[in-house]
Amino acid sequence: GQSSSTPSAPKERGADYVYFERTTAGFSDDAIPRAKAAQLKLEHYYKVAVDAAIERNTRRVELERKLAADTTTSDERKQRQLLQLGKKESSFLRLKRTKLGLDDFRTVKVIGKGAFGEVRVVQKTDTSKIYAMKTLKKEEMLKKDQLAHVRAERDVLAESNSPWVVQLYYSFQDPTYLYLIMEFLPGGDLMTMLIKYDTFSEDVTRFYIAECVLAIEAVHKLGFIHRDIKPDNILIDKEGHIKLSDFGLSTGFHKQHDSSYYTRLLDSANGVQSPTTAARNSVAVNAIHLTMSSKDQIATWKANRRKLAYSTVGTPDYIAPEIFLQKGYGNECDWWSLGAIMFECLVGYPPFCSESTHDTYQKIINWPSYLMFPDDVHLSHEAEDLIRRLITSHDRRLAVEQIKHHPFFYGVSWTAIRNIEAPFVPRLRSITDTSYFPTDELEQVPEEPAGGDSTGANKDLAFLGYTFKRFTISSSGF
Amino acid sequence: SPTAPTAPKPLYLCSPFVEAALVVGNFKTIVMQPKHVDVMEWVASNIFDFYQNLNLFYGVLTECCTSQSCPTMSAGSQLNYTWINQDRKSVQLPAPTYIDYVMTWVQNLLDDENVFPTRSGRDFSPNFPSTIKHVYRQLLRVFAHLYHAHYEQILHLRSEPHFNSLFAHFLAFGKEYELLDIKDVKGSPNAPVGIGLLWERWKDMGIITS
Ligand SMILES: Nc1ncnc2c1ncn2[C@@H]1O[C@H](COP(=O)(O)OP(=O)(O)OP(=O)(O)O)[C@@H](O)[C@H]1O
Repeated sequence: GQSSSTPSAPKERGADYVYFERTTAGFSDDAIPRAKAAQLKLEHYYKVAVDAAIERNTRRVELERKLAADTTTSDERKQRQLLQLGKKESSFLRLKRTKLGLDDFRTVKVIGKGAFGEVRVVQKTDTSKIYAMKTLKKEEMLKKDQLAHVRAERDVLAESNSPWVVQLYYSFQDPTYLYLIMEFLPGGDLMTMLIKYDTFSEDVTRFYIAECVLAIEAVHKLGFIHRDIKPDNILIDKEGHIKLSDFGLSTGFHKQHDSSYYTRLLDSANGVQSPTTAARNSVAVNAIHLTMSSKDQIATWKANRRKLAYSTVGTPDYIAPEIFLQKGYGNECDWWSLGAIMFECLVGYPPFCSESTHDTYQKIINWPSYLMFPDDVHLSHEAEDLIRRLITSHDRRLAVEQIKHHPFFYGVSWTAIRNIEAPFVPRLRSITDTSYFPTDELEQVPEEPAGGDSTGANKDLAFLGYTFKRFTISSSGF
Repeated sequence: SPTAPTAPKPLYLCSPFVEAALVVGNFKTIVMQPKHVDVMEWVASNIFDFYQNLNLFYGVLTECCTSQSCPTMSAGSQLNYTWINQDRKSVQLPAPTYIDYVMTWVQNLLDDENVFPTRSGRDFSPNFPSTIKHVYRQLLRVFAHLYHAHYEQILHLRSEPHFNSLFAHFLAFGKEYELLDIKDVKGSPNAPVGIGLLWERWKDMGIITS
């Protein structure tokens, strides 16, 4: 029994050991939170400094190893490549001293609206490069308790080099907003496409769903669950291929984490009905369901669809039932969402769509009674089978390898799909062409973001570490 | 036999505070110049960060550092720093005024494209090394005052592991790139800098290498 390893053992305390009575008396109310903020910032600073040192080292060692193995390149050229790397690392250090702000970007056009702000096409004034800038209102995010989420997922996704995920280059903040500067995908999103075309052929559906399979798989391999895959988050690049919008930043923000909301829902699903929902539940459900295949009902749903996308509540149409049940869930929930999207691509509306989000929740929780394939839409046996194996209880849902081997995907080359020609290739007149976005529907959005006015200092604490700069070794710099 | 009355040992030299650290291990990992990277760029980037981080903590302590509490820029029982004014005269200033001058001056340098260039393609001026030595010496004085006059408040705010590590990092970096004069750290024999002893203690403890 050696007590010498216990630092608090009184024996260990030398002659200069001092007890100091700590107190916060005499400090202003501000001092304590400010001290805490300073501590957190410094902790963050050192974490990042250590990570950056390791990453820098890895980049160099990798290049040196590559050059050592390369017997065809001359020593002089190898030396130049190392210098080149040093230059990039130096300019990255310089970038960290550069303060980018709102005034370094010029709005070209507002192209989208999300739950917490807007998305704009912007041009960086000094380099003329085009980006998409997303603004997120901090206060709204705090209210909706979305922070843990943002912080945890941001870094990994930012570092992912996956072609299936929208790249984030830079982020900054002012007292009111967070700003994300990401790559601009000029092809619009799948929601807009579905509004335009109603349905896709099975071949077209196969293409998008197969790409989504690979994108979701990539996200899962990074250790993440998207939880909120929906057509609005599936963006189209200039070649017509898809990328998932930068979730954890942009999505997954919605009601999933408001547990009281789910508790209420759950209670009503279990028959503990609150007085307000009781009256509605009893009659409306079947009636809506029966009329759903009529064309104008669908049109109403579609008209509301975009409004729903703009609201903070978001659409629950694609969310798996186990997420509502709050008993824990795994990444299978994303495959349910994909099933719902595939249904929508072929049928024209998602499987549980209703006139109210509440009814949608009810239908999802009771999915076995509500998953119906309408008679007036013809689906191949393979398509219907795949949907039924995705929209099913989580323990019976197909896993990624089984999905890839499903007969619906017969003939899909999983390794080459991103390189083949997409079914719709956007026809763009310029790098800032926004014709694939419903820009005329966004009239209330100000052209230029307002910029920040002051809010409480403690609020910034939550956004600690938000300012982010990406090191892109391949690009010519930001 | 009675001993001569000595001033009590400063708290920052006492256990457990002298050992308190946010960052443990060798600072070398984050101090070392990355291979192939321009040394000016590396030093500029670190000075930028030291300034921001010190400012962060000074911002917390400003309410305790007033012209009443600190009528001079003290850094030891016999030591008050003086500021050289426009007439090249050395003057005593209250610590908050002195520190404000330092921080404003450094901020202006950091914002000056000719001193700390941020645009690509712009080089550092040949004066850069001598400029940043001045910067380093003044930032050291701010640290020295905060240790000498405000360490108790740092303890009340439970910030000593953070503040110690920031300062140890500052010392380790300054030493590596010869931005620090040992005589600035220790002061003169008749007017020693309080943190001179901390420097010695940390060297003995292996927190900073000699
Ligand atoms: N990088 C981008 N390039 C082009 N368009 C984008 C980009 N990011 C977003 N958009 C457009 O803006 C719309 C809203 O963006 P997004 O869905 O990311 O925000 P959000 O609605 O706040 O997030 P959430 O999905 O959580 O509601 C998208 O549907 C898309 O049309």
